[in-house]
Amino acid sequence: MKLKVYADRMSQPSRAILIFCKVNGIDFEEIHIELSKRQQLSPEFQAINPFKKVPAIVDGRFNLFESHAILIYIASAFPGVADHWYPADVSRKAKIHAVLDWHHLNLRRGAAGFVLNTVLAPLLGLPLNKEAAAEAEKVLTSSLSTIENIWLKGDGQYLLGGFRPSIADLSLVCEIMQLQLLDEKEHDRILGPHKKVQTWIASTRNATKPHFDEVHNVLYKLKLRLSLKQSSQADGERKSGIKGPIISKM
Amino acid sequence: MMGKLNAYVDRMSQPCRAILIFCRLNGIDFEEIKVDIAKSHHLSPEFTEVNPLQKVPAILHGNLNLFESHAILAYLSSAFPGIADHWYPTDVIRRAKINSILDWHHSNLRYGAEIYVTNTVLGPAIGRPRNPKAAAEAEKVLLSSLSKLENIWLNGDGRFLLGSFQPSIADLSLVCELTQLEVLDEMDRGRILSPYKKVLGWIEDTRTATNPYFEEMHNILYRAKKKFQQQRSRIAESGTETTNNRGRHSKM
Repeated sequence: MKLKVYADRMSQPSRAILIFCKVNGIDFEEIHIELSKRQQLSPEFQAINPFKKVPAIVDGRFNLFESHAILIYIASAFPGVADHWYPADVSRKAKIHAVLDWHHLNLRRGAAGFVLNTVLAPLLGLPLNKEAAAEAEKVLTSSLSTIENIWLKGDGQYLLGGFRPSIADLSLVCEIMQLQLLDEKEHDRILGPHKKVQTWIASTRNATKPHFDEVHNVLYKLKLRLSLKQSSQADGERKSGIKGPIISKM
Repeated sequence: MMGKLNAYVDRMSQPCRAILIFCRLNGIDFEEIKVDIAKSHHLSPEFTEVNPLQKVPAILHGNLNLFESHAILAYLSSAFPGIADHWYPTDVIRRAKINSILDWHHSNLRYGAEIYVTNTVLGPAIGRPRNPKAAAEAEKVLLSSLSKLENIWLNGDGRFLLGSFQPSIADLSLVCELTQLEVLDEMDRGRILSPYKKVLGWIEDTRTATNPYFEEMHNILYRAKKKFQQQRSRIAESGTETTNNRGRHSKM
């Protein structure tokens, strides 16, 4: 029975799993769970993952969720996955675990919280929360600094000084890609100071092409739609002198 | 052999306790180096060399510096001989399930419990202002996490997480997080925990499975609990809060 991956390509950790599977030639079926339509709340999906979150996998009779656990499982259970993704060496593996653990309450919390509370909330019918956005921005900026100055230290261009990407690189870069949804100025303000981070994102994207861009297509399309709306609204404001709400849909 | 293991810890820190109990229980030879968070030792240049993120726990084993308690527990399980398989099973599927709960923990039980305790007891004890809004939000996350433990993670035939018959590093990590609630006011703690019968039973089972080290590593927390109880009774008797709160160790 084929591996089933339940994913929404708008979800950062879902993208990491999909890219990982494609890059490693793993035979799998992608099952789309549309978060904007609340499909994760259906009884069918709840039977797959009682926590009602994507990504989730089913491999034979075994269900699993939490993207880091999934990435580790796939790297360990499927033959032909190159060692650099999740090294057998106990010390190197431990360092990768440390980044993956750090990620949850740092980059993930900051980036996801910031994008949600500045851009995505209206698209999901949720209110914008300025206070939450400000808090998230603090965590995001601090996390990017930590990546720039600590995690990207070393000889190679990947996390922990690696010369090849690991599952940690894939997970964290997919998270940062969500910042593409911000308007250009915001995006540049936040990422601009971090040169190593920018290089690292490009390296990771390059190491996993063409799958990286293919899986990110949904995100790129939304980014385009948002930026068109932002410029047409700006035009409208200039012409009429009146500021109106952004009417947007997924 | 990689050489000596140094563990940089503060026993008031939940993840530190998990590491210490694990090492003692498994007969791992190590040196415990105290990093007193309340005295800001974690910010010292010496400790920053060990962990540039300035957090405990951290370990030094030969050439390897490592921090993040789950990474440390997984590493110790793999790097030292004679550790029983149930702590971090080699079976890929069982290990994956344990990894998933270790991952879930960060943004759920850890986040809820830590922020709640900090904003109600431990923060004010070191002069930080109370933040009732943060406490209320954290409480929601904490209660939701307890409910998930009760109804999902503790499902199955065994008495430990994921229906296991023996504890894993996940049981140790999560139970050490929950023991931090001991410093709360009795009524508050009772209100929060008492609906969750399975959770309460599981805490006891984990304690039993890891004693006497569990009790030993929690001694400092129990002393802090007593101090807070005494303070609360003094305040209740006098009817006023003292302006000079001499509190216990802070959180990391």
